[in-house]
Formats: sequence, C-alpha cells, structure tokens
Amino acid sequence: MATVIDIKGDHQEFKEEVETTDMALFVRTSDEAMLGWDRQRIVDALIRETYVDFDTAKEIAREVEDLIATSKIKMITAPLIRELVDTKLVERGLEQARKMHTRLGMPLYDVDQLILHPNKENANVPHGPEATNLTLAERIKKEYALLSVFSQEIADAHMRGDIHLHDLGFIDRPYCSGQSLEYIKRFGLSLPNSIAMAKPAKHPEVLLAHMVKFAAALQSHFAGAIGWDSINLFFAPYLVGMSDQELEQLAQMMIFEFSQQAVARGGQAIFTDLNLYWEIPKHFENVPAIGPGGEFTGKTYSDYLEESQRFAKALFDIYQEGDGSGRPFFFPKPLVHITEKFFKTPGHMDFLYHICDVASEKGNTYFVFDRGETAKISECCRLSFKLDQTDLEDAKQPWKMRYCALQNVTLNLPRIAYLAKGEDSKLFSKIAEFVQMAVKAHLEKKLFIEKLLSLGEKGPLALLAMERDGSPYLRMHRASFLVGMVGLNELVQIHTGQEMHQSKQAFKFGLKVIAHMKLLVDKFSQRYGMRFVLEQTPAESTAYRFAKLDLKFHSPKSGHIVKGDLSKGEVYYTNSTYLNNSAVLNPIERVRQEGLFHPLIEAGALTHIWLGEARPLKSSLANFVIKTFQLTQNDQVAFSPEFTTCNRCYRTSRGLRSSCVYCGSEDVDGITRITGYFTKVSSWNKGKIGELRNRYRNQTFLKEKEEGMALES
Amino acid sequence: MIEIKGFLETSFLDWPGKLCSVFFLPYCNFRCPYCHNHPLVFNPEQYVTIPLEDILTRLHSLRNWIDGVCLTGGEPTLHADLPLLIREIKRHRFLVKLDTNGSNPQMLENLIETGEIDFVSMDVKAPLDPFRYSRSTGLPINLKPISESIEILKRGKVEYEFRMTVVPGLHREEDIQTLGDQLRVGRRFVLQNFNPENPLDPLLKNSVPYDLKVLKKIEKEVQEIL
Repeated sequence: MATVIDIKGDHQEFKEEVETTDMALFVRTSDEAMLGWDRQRIVDALIRETYVDFDTAKEIAREVEDLIATSKIKMITAPLIRELVDTKLVERGLEQARKMHTRLGMPLYDVDQLILHPNKENANVPHGPEATNLTLAERIKKEYALLSVFSQEIADAHMRGDIHLHDLGFIDRPYCSGQSLEYIKRFGLSLPNSIAMAKPAKHPEVLLAHMVKFAAALQSHFAGAIGWDSINLFFAPYLVGMSDQELEQLAQMMIFEFSQQAVARGGQAIFTDLNLYWEIPKHFENVPAIGPGGEFTGKTYSDYLEESQRFAKALFDIYQEGDGSGRPFFFPKPLVHITEKFFKTPGHMDFLYHICDVASEKGNTYFVFDRGETAKISECCRLSFKLDQTDLEDAKQPWKMRYCALQNVTLNLPRIAYLAKGEDSKLFSKIAEFVQMAVKAHLEKKLFIEKLLSLGEKGPLALLAMERDGSPYLRMHRASFLVGMVGLNELVQIHTGQEMHQSKQAFKFGLKVIAHMKLLVDKFSQRYGMRFVLEQTPAESTAYRFAKLDLKFHSPKSGHIVKGDLSKGEVYYTNSTYLNNSAVLNPIERVRQEGLFHPLIEAGALTHIWLGEARPLKSSLANFVIKTFQLTQNDQVAFSPEFTTCNRCYRTSRGLRSSCVYCGSEDVDGITRITGYFTKVSSWNKGKIGELRNRYRNQTFLKEKEEGMALES
Repeated sequence: MIEIKGFLETSFLDWPGKLCSVFFLPYCNFRCPYCHNHPLVFNPEQYVTIPLEDILTRLHSLRNWIDGVCLTGGEPTLHADLPLLIREIKRHRFLVKLDTNGSNPQMLENLIETGEIDFVSMDVKAPLDPFRYSRSTGLPINLKPISESIEILKRGKVEYEFRMTVVPGLHREEDIQTLGDQLRVGRRFVLQNFNPENPLDPLLKNSVPYDLKVLKKIEKEVQEIL
C-alpha cells in the first residue's frame, strides 16, 4: 500500500540502518503500526513508485527530515510525510513523479459527513455502515480512475463537466449487462473462487435461488443493471404441472427476493430487469428447451407457451398487490415486449389489460415496443440491445446470449452550445470534438478492463473470465460503448432561442443534432471495429452536475437556461433528448415527438408519462399503448404514478402529500420514479427535486383571467 | 354558445377503453359538499373561455389518437344549447360522452333518441331517498327527474355507467349496497374514491377516504347485483 513507512519492507533492515538520524519520533503508518522514524523509507518509496533518481530521493528525504525536526510536530502520520515529500517534488518541478507518488483518500471532515449523512448521488443506495464503506471505496477508485486509468485530457474534460464518465467508482467493472437464465440452467452455479459448486437445478425454487445468487455475484462485477431475457419463458420447462397457487408462490418469491436483496453493493438493491413476453419470441420458437437438471427436455420452447404465459400473469398479480404496505415494488422491473406477434397470440388483450392495470395502479410495467423484425433485450434504466444476425444465430444456444455495455460517457450538450456562440459550424464541430472525447474515454477504459480480464480466472474479474461454454463469460467482442447526452433541449434553446416544444424549427434542429451524433458514432464504430451507440443517459445526478458546473463557468447566460429553482439550488438540465418536463404537452404529443428520436438512439430510449395522482382506466391505457405501437416510432413507455407512504400506519395512498390521508401523520415518504426506477423522494438529489416540482402531470387547462378582467364580464 | 372553461387534451380516465379529450362546462345545480370542481360551479367567470375553434383545431392534429370528447362540468345539461355543441363536435367526427347528474331527463332523452351521444356517465350521489340524496348534494332534491334519467339509461339505447363517489361519513357501506340494489345494473355501477384535496365543504378535508382495497371489495359485491 501507499505507506512511506512500510512494515512489509523488512523490519530487520530498518534496525540495521546506520545512517538514520536519531529522532525520538514515531510514525503512524497506514498499516496500523507505530514505527520509529527512518528517513530511508522515503527514499525506498520514491525509488519504488517513481522514476526519481537515487540522489534526488536521498536529498528529498533529508530535507523532509529537517523540516519535521525543526517543526516539533508531536504526532506524525504517513500521509503527512507523503505530502511533505510531494511538496519537495513540486519544488523541483518533478510533476510526473508527484503524480505517481500521490496519495488517494479523503479529508477527515468529508468522511465524517459521509458517515452521518445519506448519499444522494444514487437514490438506490440506502444510508448505513455498509453503504458508507461502498462510498468510501468508490471515492478512492474514482480518484484512481481519473489519475491512472484515463489520460489527463479525458480526466480534465470530466472534471470540467464537458463530459461525464459514469460510475468512476466502479472503474474496474463493466457498466451493465444482459443475462441468459439458460447459462445457469445448463451449467449450474459454479463460480470461480466460490467454496461450493452446485449442479444444474432440478426444481424451480432452486433455479430461482441460483438466479438470485448469480445476480448478486454479477452485480459485484457490474456497475449498473443486470437484465434477464425472456425470464417467464426460460422458467417455463420447470413449471409444468404446477398449480396456480404454487405458481403464485414462486412469482412472489422471485419478486420479493429481488426487491429485498440487499447484500450486493452496500445494501443497494440489485438493479434487476425482467424481460417478459406473452408470445414465444420468434427467435426461440424452435430452440430445444432446457429443463430440470440442465437436460434438454426433447421439446422446443414453443411447447411451453402455456406455462410461460401463466408465469407472466402470476408475476403481474404480485406486482398488482405491491409490497407488505401496498407500495409498488422498486425492483425487479418488469419489461413487457409488445411485438407484432404479441397481437397475434391469443389472450393478448386480457394480458394487456392486466399489465395496464398494474401500470395504472402501481406504475411498474414498462412497455417495450419491438416493431417489425427487431428483437431486443432491455437492461438498465433504458439501455437495450438490438439483436442482429449473429445474435439470432446465438439464440439457438441461448446461454450464449450474454451482453454488456462497457462504459457510459455522457456529453454536456448545453456546454457545446455556450461554446458555439450561435454559430452552426462551430456547434457541429464542437459536437464532433465532444464525441471524440467520449470515444477516447472508451478506448482507455477498454484497455484497462482488458488488462484485468487478461489475468483470467486468477484475476480480479474471474467471474467474467470463466469459460464454462468454451468462451469467456463476458463476450468482449459483443460489448457496446455508450455515448449519452444531457440537455438537448437546452442546447437547442441556447442556440436557436427556443425550446424544442416551442416550435417546429427548434424541434427539427434537435433532431438534426442527434442525427449528426448518430453519424459520428457510426463512423467511429467503423474506424475502431467497436460498437459505439447513442444512449439516453438516465443522468440521475449528471443533469444536476452539468447544470451546476455551467452556472459556474457560463454565467450569466446559463442562469436563464438551467431548469428548476435557482434560489433553492434545485437546478437541472432536461434529460437526454427529452422535451421540457414542465411543457404542457399531452401524453400523445410526448410519445409521438420524443419517439422521433428513438430510432436514432440505438441503445434504447424511453418516454415517461407522469401520471401524478390520476388513476387511469386500464382499458384506456391499453388503447394508448396499442396506438403508440401502431402510430409512433417510440421505443419504450412507462407511466409513473405518485404515492405517499406512511411510516406510522404503514398504508400507502395516491399522490404526493405532506401528511398521511389515513392517519394524518406527517412522517411520510413520497414515492415515484426518479429516472428508470421508483424510489423515495426524500433520497433524491436537489436537481431531481427541482425536476419533480416541474413535471407536467397531464393537468386540465384552466386559465384564470388576469385581475380586473373578471369584473368586466 | 356554451363557454368552455377547461380543456384536457388527453384523458385516460373518463371513458372506459377510449382516449378522450375533456371539455369542462361551467355552473351546476347541485352543491355536493365533496365537489372538487367547485370554482367552476361558483366562479366560472374567473376563467378564460377557450374558443371552440381553437380546441377543434387541436383535436384535428390528434385525429388518429383521440376517439372522442367527454363533456363534463359543472353540469352540462344546464345549458340549453348543449345539443348544438354536441352537433358541432360530431360534425368533426368525434364520439361524444356526457357526464351528468341526471337532473335534466328531457335533454338526456332527446340526445339519446337523436343518437347524438355515444356514452353517458351519470353520477349517483346516494340511495334514492330524498333525505339522503339531499344530504349528499347539499340541496333539497326532487328525486323524480333523477329516477327518470336512471330509467332512460337503463333502456340501453346508449352505453352508460352509474358512478358514485364514496365519501366516509356521508356514505356507509349499507348505503352503497342499497343504491346498488335500487339500480341493479351489475358492472355498470362503479365506485370512485373521495379525494380530500380541496373539497367544497372544507370540513371534509379532514375525513379519511376509504381504504382502496375495501372499496374495491364493496364494488365487486355491488356489481354482482343484477
């Protein structure tokens, strides 16, 4: 470790060191030891960690010793010595050496704050000892990433807020992933470094247990979401002959397991997506089914339609109920794929009503639209993978269908517009510059992850390197590299003077920007033989961070542009390609207009309909969903109701209120969707609170006359 | 022509199975203590009137999506020229749904007979006896037109539903049962939960709405009465 006084560095040698000044001083080391002063340790560290020559190192050590001797410091710590050494390096202009010799860590005050106050960067992390451990570790890895994984150019761009490198605290993991249950069905649960190996499950409950444990293991190797493809179908061969009651029990276990699973990541729920189909997806129709014991059942998946549908229904019965106090489940998120075949599969209307009922009542349902021949699996907040020809070939051996996105880099679009000062050519060349930065960041991260993976099953990413089916679990050649965006609406506003919902020209300009970005990432994909794709960044904290940074660097202009409440510090930029959250746009306009961007955003996109207190009729929602499928290019829709849950009587009511409607208690929590998932409003960062206040909830247009006018009429 | 005081372009909750726009019309002849549209009842003058042409232009751009228009209030049937408004909407080939409290059976019957409305949602306030009905509507009520409207709808010449907003303190569970028994329309009798936000009678702000699960259960029971 980075201690100057290193106890591992052979204690014997330390005693024999003749040259050491006889200083009656003890040093607190980072390895929890008190050692006597030894100047040689400084020399050793400089030689080990930097390229400084021996004489310089000795000189520095002596100077630092003098400094300490004359200062009469009573307690000296290893970090202090290190900083003193660093100042000497700075004095000599040894910038590179100083960087290599630097120490990562946090000020006492910050640690104190962290332990006492909740983390608001990610509302999915609860506040507790395990969570603060996580945050502390993240802080150090983040610094490590910025100093050591990324080049200075990229690190500076991140610090300035030109771009945002997501999940820097998870630098040694890929970003998010799509899984196939078939892998554990076929190979059992046999993880590198684990004490016991389990053969393929024979019973559905055991399969579920394997799935949950595998998910937890995966979550500690990915920064973001763990998505599961066609989960109701892949469970189906295990469900033959089960009664409704048994099926409901299993569905309940699955949802509670994933919603309460808080072992991974410091009490953070596993970010789980369940992809569900009413039909047998076309690419699985003739695929041999794997059943109990990992054996092929001799049938194809087409033969399991009934079990698959019954399980999907059972899952939604549980979602409808909600948790023990009637709240919606935050995780796992159910994503139902609406396809051409969906509408040709008997019983689809009843199922559609059912999932619309859940959407209205609890908001859980995500409607994913796969039109024409596209097949997709969806992951994180809105990330999805479109399956191409190779994938469809893989589909014949579905355990091969494992996907990942290695990293997400988001561009600060409003920043580009401030810099362009209204000139089109400058704007588009700046966009290219920013995209190029994102690409460079991806190349750097890829190199780092490849280094870790090259250590194979003995390395830190053993789980991702394991080769149970002849190829590594993480299929690097299939990885995507995400380029996200925040604040297209504000870019357009700064550049054209109008927000995207305010005029057709402004909206078209927004489309042009995204089309340009799409062209750029395609070019880079060709150049590097990698998959760079656009994504709608969930930007839970990035939209806030960019807005704050621009208020600093691009004031006063930015003061008129950022959304939210400046006086309260609740500022944000509009997410990705979204239209202004407060714009009075009915849900039809929103799915239609936002949907025009979706074909350009390959990694998946989503339109939110904020419902507020309203509880729509399931049949009307179904009508809307069908029309969205037929009449728009929209990729994905979710309806978000709002709830108030009481901490005294444990009941949940509709709408965000300051007190409980049932018992009047003011000890309540608001619950609604933050970006791609539900959480308690109390855990949101300021930017998101600002957005929440502004969200247009499909209210009636009622305009009060200006004062005085009422008297005239 | 009737003044349209409020406009909601897309509603998912006013017309079962349809996407509709909602026009809010002013004034009402009832004074239900739990009314949450009361500014529209008492002081519609304070709101800007939205020109019908503007609304229809908007509706045209939503042509493939919006199935129809829901007319609500206030009480739409108070306006003698309501049929004209309906005809205008129909001329633009949108379906029409009428929300009414049933106090104007003549107009209701005419609209149904001429085939000008496609769905009627009638608010029923309490079991059909003068005392309880008056208590729920805040005024002395003549039940005759109400009962007539119910009969007209039950002839089945137009799709319909009866809606009851259930308010604790005003309606006991037996009251809902009694009304269900008097209507005998099965699943066409639907219950709505009372919303304590800004009711006409401020005292009701403190009353606790029924637990939703309980209400659903009651609804299921009364819907079995045929």
